Amino acid sequence: MDEEDTDGYKEPCNQCAAVDWGISDEGRFYCRSCHNVIERTREVVDMSFTSNSNRISRIGNKSRIRKSERGYIWMLCEGFQFILQNQADALLRLGVAPQFKDDVLCQMWRLYLQKSQQGYTRNPIRNLRFRGAALDSDTDMDSAAESVLSDNFTDSGSVLCSSAGSNAESSSDWLGSDYSSTGTSASWKRSRSLMTMKKTLALIHLALVWSREALTLSDLLRLVKEGHVPYVTAYEDLPEEMKLCGPDALLFHVESIPSHRSVHKEAQVLVQFLQLPAFPPIIPEALLHPAPLSLRYLTDANLPDELHRWVCVLMDRAGMADQKRHTLDGGLRPVLPRYDLQAAALIIVTIKVMFGLDDHTEWDLSNKADSHDDKDMFSFRKWYKLVQAALVEAQQRRDQDTARKQWKGKKLFFVDKRDRLIVTKRRRISENVQMCLKRLSSCPVAVHYGGASSFQFCWGDENGSDGPSLHHTKLDGVISLSNGFMTPLNLNYWHPPLRPCNPRTCASHYPSMEPTLPRSFVWLLQLFSFMLDVEAWYLFDEVLEMERRVFGIKTPQIGQQVETRKWLRTEKTNATQTGDPVKKPRTPRKGRNGINI
Amino acid sequence: MEALDEYLGPPVVLEDESDSSDCSSRKRHKSKLPLAKSKLPLAKPMCVEAHVENSFQKTCRICLEHVREAMLHHRWQEAAEYMASYTQVLEDRSTVKAQPDKELVWRMSTEILHHLPNATVTDYNIIYERMKHSGFKHYLMICLEHSFHLMLHGDIEAAKHQVSIAESWRHGKESVSQLQRIRLIHAYRSLLDYIMWCEKKSTLSNDNPFESDSQGMHTFFRLASTNLQEILKNPGVWDPFILCYVEMLEFYGDNEEAQKVLNHYAYDNSFPPNPNAHVYLYQFLKRHDTPDKKLMKVLKHLQVLVPSHELMLTYSCLLLQSEKESHTQKALGVLLEMLDFQCWRSNLDVWKCLHAVIHQLLQREERATSVQTQMAVRNDWWPALHFTSFHAKKDLEENSELFEVKASLVEILCPGQSPRYTAEMQMLTS
Repeated sequence: MDEEDTDGYKEPCNQCAAVDWGISDEGRFYCRSCHNVIERTREVVDMSFTSNSNRISRIGNKSRIRKSERGYIWMLCEGFQFILQNQADALLRLGVAPQFKDDVLCQMWRLYLQKSQQGYTRNPIRNLRFRGAALDSDTDMDSAAESVLSDNFTDSGSVLCSSAGSNAESSSDWLGSDYSSTGTSASWKRSRSLMTMKKTLALIHLALVWSREALTLSDLLRLVKEGHVPYVTAYEDLPEEMKLCGPDALLFHVESIPSHRSVHKEAQVLVQFLQLPAFPPIIPEALLHPAPLSLRYLTDANLPDELHRWVCVLMDRAGMADQKRHTLDGGLRPVLPRYDLQAAALIIVTIKVMFGLDDHTEWDLSNKADSHDDKDMFSFRKWYKLVQAALVEAQQRRDQDTARKQWKGKKLFFVDKRDRLIVTKRRRISENVQMCLKRLSSCPVAVHYGGASSFQFCWGDENGSDGPSLHHTKLDGVISLSNGFMTPLNLNYWHPPLRPCNPRTCASHYPSMEPTLPRSFVWLLQLFSFMLDVEAWYLFDEVLEMERRVFGIKTPQIGQQVETRKWLRTEKTNATQTGDPVKKPRTPRKGRNGINI
Repeated sequence: MEALDEYLGPPVVLEDESDSSDCSSRKRHKSKLPLAKSKLPLAKPMCVEAHVENSFQKTCRICLEHVREAMLHHRWQEAAEYMASYTQVLEDRSTVKAQPDKELVWRMSTEILHHLPNATVTDYNIIYERMKHSGFKHYLMICLEHSFHLMLHGDIEAAKHQVSIAESWRHGKESVSQLQRIRLIHAYRSLLDYIMWCEKKSTLSNDNPFESDSQGMHTFFRLASTNLQEILKNPGVWDPFILCYVEMLEFYGDNEEAQKVLNHYAYDNSFPPNPNAHVYLYQFLKRHDTPDKKLMKVLKHLQVLVPSHELMLTYSCLLLQSEKESHTQKALGVLLEMLDFQCWRSNLDVWKCLHAVIHQLLQREERATSVQTQMAVRNDWWPALHFTSFHAKKDLEENSELFEVKASLVEILCPGQSPRYTAEMQMLTS
C-alpha cells in the first residue's frame, strides 16, 4: 500500500539515486535501498496532487489517470508501424522521393501484415498482442488502436491487399490469449513472422531497391549508425499512449546495429516470405546499377574518372551490364543483389587487371609514371600515399566515434515497474558520474555526426578536404595503344589458389589466406571495406565471385564437389599462356577487341 | 539491492545469432543447415564462440581501451572525456558483466580525478557515493577507500563518519570476504579514534589541561580500545593498530595489559610469523627497563625469523656482556650469520664485535675449535664474500679501520686459504 502513496513521488534519493520510496510508521518517506529518511511525509504527496482541486474529487479522478498511465493495449506490429513511419520520414527528409513511403514501403508493410496474418485477414494471429501492465482491457482502446491503423492506410490506394479485412470485429476474442502458452508449432510460426527491429531495416532496404533510390544497404546502415535514421532509440518516438512494458518490450530494445550480411539475409528471406512480384528493372540509368554506382565509388576513392571506362568494359565482360542481372524477380531470379559490394568488387578487379596488384607491377608502373614530367599522369604510388594518409585518419576518427557513441536514449527503457526502479537508479548513477567527469574535462561527450553524406572522403582544394583530387589524372602510363586498340600495359593477372571447397561447411578463406596475399591487394580491400563499412572477408568473397564471373571460372556449386577437386592450384598465370579456362583463370584481353579509338 | 541487481537475469537475445558478422559465427550458422542430404562428411565447426559481442559492448570495449591508453600516457583530460562516455556501461542490461564494470568505473574515475588539477572534494564525493550505492558488493571497499581519501586530505572527522557508516552497514548473510572487510573497517575506525585521541593529547599538552578535555580524550581511548582489543585477538598482521593501542595503554599506565597484548601478538602460534611483533615487544620492554635476560629471550626469537635484523648487533652485544661461555658461543653464531648477508659486509661495528667475541673465545680455549666448527660450512664461500683483494682495496679506500679489523681476523676465520686480503695490504704498503 506504500506504493499507492509513494507512486507520485519520483524524485531520486539524494544518497543513492534510487527511486524506491517507502513510508515509515511515522508517515515519513524513506529510501528503501539506503534507508535515508527525507523531509517528506505522506500528507505532502497528496497535497501536491490536489493543488488546484479539493481532495474528494481527487480520489475520484485517480483511477482514471492510473488507467491512462498504463496505456492502451496495442499490437506489436503497431509499434513497429510507428517506427517504420519515423524511419521513412527521416529518409524523406534526407531526400528520398516521397513515393517511397506511400507507394512502396506502405504496400510492403501491408503485405507483410497480411502474410504474417497480423492484419488484413479474417483470422488474425492472437499471440502477438502487446499487453499493458494490466490484464483488464477496454474495448474502446482496441478500437482506438484500430483507428491508428486505418488512419495510416486509408490515404494510399490498396493495390496489393484487396482481400484485406478489418480485425476490429474479432478484437473481443483476443482477451485472455496468453503470450507464453504458445505451442511449438505456434512459436515456430511466430518466429517466422515476428517483427524485429532488424526486419524494419530489411523492409526499408527492399523498399529502397524497389523505388530504385540511390541508397545502397551500406548507405542505409551508415545513416542508421550515424543516427540520421532512427533505430537505436526508435522506441522513444512511440506515442505517449503506447507504453512499453512486459517481456515483449525488449523487442524494441536495440543494442546492436546489424551487419550488412545479416540485413541482406533478412531481406532475402523477406522477399520469399512476401512473395513479391518482379521488381522494377534496374536500368543502367538507375543509380543502383553498377555503372553509376562504381563511378560514385571511384570518386570517393579519388581514382581517376578514366578508370570508369575500364570498369564498364569489365562489367560487359562479366555480363553485368544486363539489367536483368540486377533486377530482383520473385520467380526467375529470386536473389537480391548486393549492389554496393558488387560495384566495389568490380573496381577492385579492374584495378587488379590494370595494375597487377602483385606488389611489383603496380610499383614498376608508378616508377614509369613518376619519371614522366606530365603531372596529370596517374601514379599508383602517389594515389596510395594520398589515400593511405586519409584512410588512417578516417579510421581513427571512426574508432573514436565508436568509442564515444552513446547507446542509451534520453527516455528510460524498462519492461515493468520493478525494472523501472533499477533502470532509473542506474541512469542516475551513470548520469551523475558522467556529469562530474564532463565538468572536469569540459568537452562534449556525445558524438556529433555531420550532415549525412554519400561520401567518406572529400577530395579537392577546399578547406577540410582529405587531399588534392586525382579525378582528372590520365591513365596513359598504364595503357598502350597497339593496332588502334587500347590495352593495359600489365599482362599479368594472379588468382588465389583454387581448392575444393564445400560452400556449405566452409566459411570465408580470407583469414587463412590473408598473410599470403599481396599487401597492395589487401590494402585495397581494406580501403573499400572501410568505405562500405563491411568486413574485409565479406568483400573478398565478393571479389572472388566477381573474378569467377569475369574470367569464366566455374562457380563451385553444391553437388559439384567432385569436380572441384580436379581444379589445379594456380598461383600466377601469365596472360600469354591462356589455357583451359577451367584449369587456369583466363586473363582479360578484352581491351584488344573492346574499345576502339 | 541484490535482488534488484540480479532480477534482470540473462540478457534476452533478440536478434538472430547470425547477426554477428565474423567468420566463425557464419561458419557455425551454415553448419546448422540440414545436411542430411549431403553425402560429404561434415566439417566440425572449428570454434564455437560462447559470447557474441553486440555493438554496445563493442563501443564500451573500445572506449575502455581509449581510457586505458590515455591513462597510460598521462593524458588525463582525454581519459576523463572517454571515461565520461564509458559510464553508459553502468546502464548495461545484462548483469553478467556488471560487477567488474562497476569496479572499473569506480577505480578508474577516482584515479583520473587524482590527476585532474580542478577536481574538488565534491567530485570525489559524488563518485564515491554513487558507486557505493550502485551495488552491494563493493560497498564496504568503497567506503573504506573513501575514508582513506578523506584521511589523506586531512578531513579526519569526515573519514570517521564514512567508516562509521560502513560499520553499521549490513547486507544479507555475512560472507567470508565481507567479514574480513568488516574487521578492517573496525580496525580503521579505531585508528581514526586514535588519531583524534592524539590530536586531543597534543592540544592538552600545549594548553593547560582541562578536566573536560581529558575526559573527551578518554572517550576516544575507550572507543578505540574496545574495538582494538577484539580485533587484535584475530590472527593477522595488525602492526599499525597494535602500536596505537600500546601507545594509548602506556599513556594511561596500563603496562601490564600492553605487555600482555604484545606477548600474545608475538607468541601466539595462530598468528602468521611476524618479526615486527618481536621488535615491538623488544622496544616495549626496553622502554620499561626490563632486565637483559628477558630482552635476550625476545631477540632470540627474532634471530630465528630474521638473522640479518639490525637488532642482532644489540643481541650479540648483550650476549657478550653477560660473559657466559655459552653466550659467547651464541654471539659468535649470531654475528657470523649476520655477516652471511651482503648488507652487513662492510659494517665496522659488526666486525669489531666479532673481533671481541673471537678474542674472548681465544682467551679461553687454545685452538678456538668453536670458531672452526662454525666456519666449517662457510669456508668455501666466505673468502670470496669477504676476503678478496678487491674487498681489501675497497675497504682500505673507504674505511681503513675496518680493513685492520678484518685483516686481523682472516687467519682465524679462514686458515689455510691464500691470504689475498692481507697480500693487498703488503702490495700497497710496499
